[in-house]
Amino acid sequence: MSDSTPPERSAPSAEALLGQVALGNRAAFETLYRTCADKLFGICLRVLRQRAEAEEALQEVFTNVWHKASQFDPERASAMSWLSIMARNKAIDRLRSLPARSMHTSLEEAAGIADPNASPAPSAEAASEQARLARCLEELEPRRRTLIREAFFGGFTYEELATRLAAPLGSVKSWVRRGLIQLRACLEP
Amino acid sequence: MSSVPPSPPGDDTVGTEPPDDEVLAGELVLGVLERDARTQAQARSETDPVFAARVARWELRFAPWLAEIAPAAAPALLWDQICRRLGWRIEPAPRAGLWQSLILWRTVAAVAALAAMMLWWTRGPGPIVPPSSSVPPGAAEPAAKPVSTLARGDGSTAWLASVDPARGTVLMVPVPGPADALGRVPELWIIPSGQQPRSLGAVSINKSHTVAVPAGARDALVPGSVLAITLEPASGLPHAAPSGPVIAKGPVTI
Repeated sequence: MSDSTPPERSAPSAEALLGQVALGNRAAFETLYRTCADKLFGICLRVLRQRAEAEEALQEVFTNVWHKASQFDPERASAMSWLSIMARNKAIDRLRSLPARSMHTSLEEAAGIADPNASPAPSAEAASEQARLARCLEELEPRRRTLIREAFFGGFTYEELATRLAAPLGSVKSWVRRGLIQLRACLEP
Repeated sequence: MSSVPPSPPGDDTVGTEPPDDEVLAGELVLGVLERDARTQAQARSETDPVFAARVARWELRFAPWLAEIAPAAAPALLWDQICRRLGWRIEPAPRAGLWQSLILWRTVAAVAALAAMMLWWTRGPGPIVPPSSSVPPGAAEPAAKPVSTLARGDGSTAWLASVDPARGTVLMVPVPGPADALGRVPELWIIPSGQQPRSLGAVSINKSHTVAVPAGARDALVPGSVLAITLEPASGLPHAAPSGPVIAKGPVTI
């Protein structure tokens, strides 16, 4: 049993901190915030592009973490993945609640923000997952590949994508859906 | 997972038919749905576990991309705003460093609990109602007893324990905290060095009480043993073996 106890003197892992947060430990919550806020703020800012909106989203993320930490299941995802997914979901929700975005941001700008060098080196496992996703994406037809990546990093809706590409909505949907089906088949053959 | 047939060679009809659940879940996660469609899909994943599982799998498939996104410095004041949203009191700035320290107030609480415990030991028990298996202490009890600290993972004190090997009892004094959100209860274990944990039953999160150690476990009340508390289902106590997370532990001091 003592094996399952987090180490007491070294820096606690995000997983251990989330476990403590689930028990209502505010000190652990603050430590988790200090550890993860910048990464999650980066995600919110990427989706929302406006600092004020990203700040609001990050507050929602952390209040949510406080209330829902007990739903975190370390068997399914790393703490960082769980938190990052929640941050992106909150940011997209917020984006959808805002008036339609001004259309001056180019697709290239949205797609080009990904910069692996700017992020801390991923763990070996995360790196292999990244490589697998990248490899499966490479197998897609270029148009589908670009669309899916841009949709993900830019937070664009189907209609926004269609407007930007000056393509029929039905075609854009078709390209994305085909891409998703192919992607899934490649990631989980 | 296998409900999606292998994709037929490229056609553009996929865009006009309503997507199947697997694709809809992917669209939700990718973020391409318009607001109303997104809200509908989210509502569905609240009530439809199969759909929710599809969504969760898509989230994990795309998670590697989130790892690529560079951090950005969050504004310094954001932490205070989060505390405010949670309804937590924020002390004035000059003394905030000290007074916001949980370690500090936990220590204060622990010292207060210890003082209360010493009173209890010297004056005898008040009319407390322990949740389970208590033993009223006799009159011929020595006043001074060593105290074992059961600490959380972050080092803060969660319980104080005073072990009486002669009488086979452990007095447990909690630093009061919130109940488990999942309804689990704290269960106390004694772990003799190199052996399996043995349950001493449930303990309270906000009241001090004495736990009677079963005859078979009294030989474990020695230095070198460890007291640990895990969160366990409220039914079936005491359990044969722990199944939940360890929330506090500390060495037995005699």
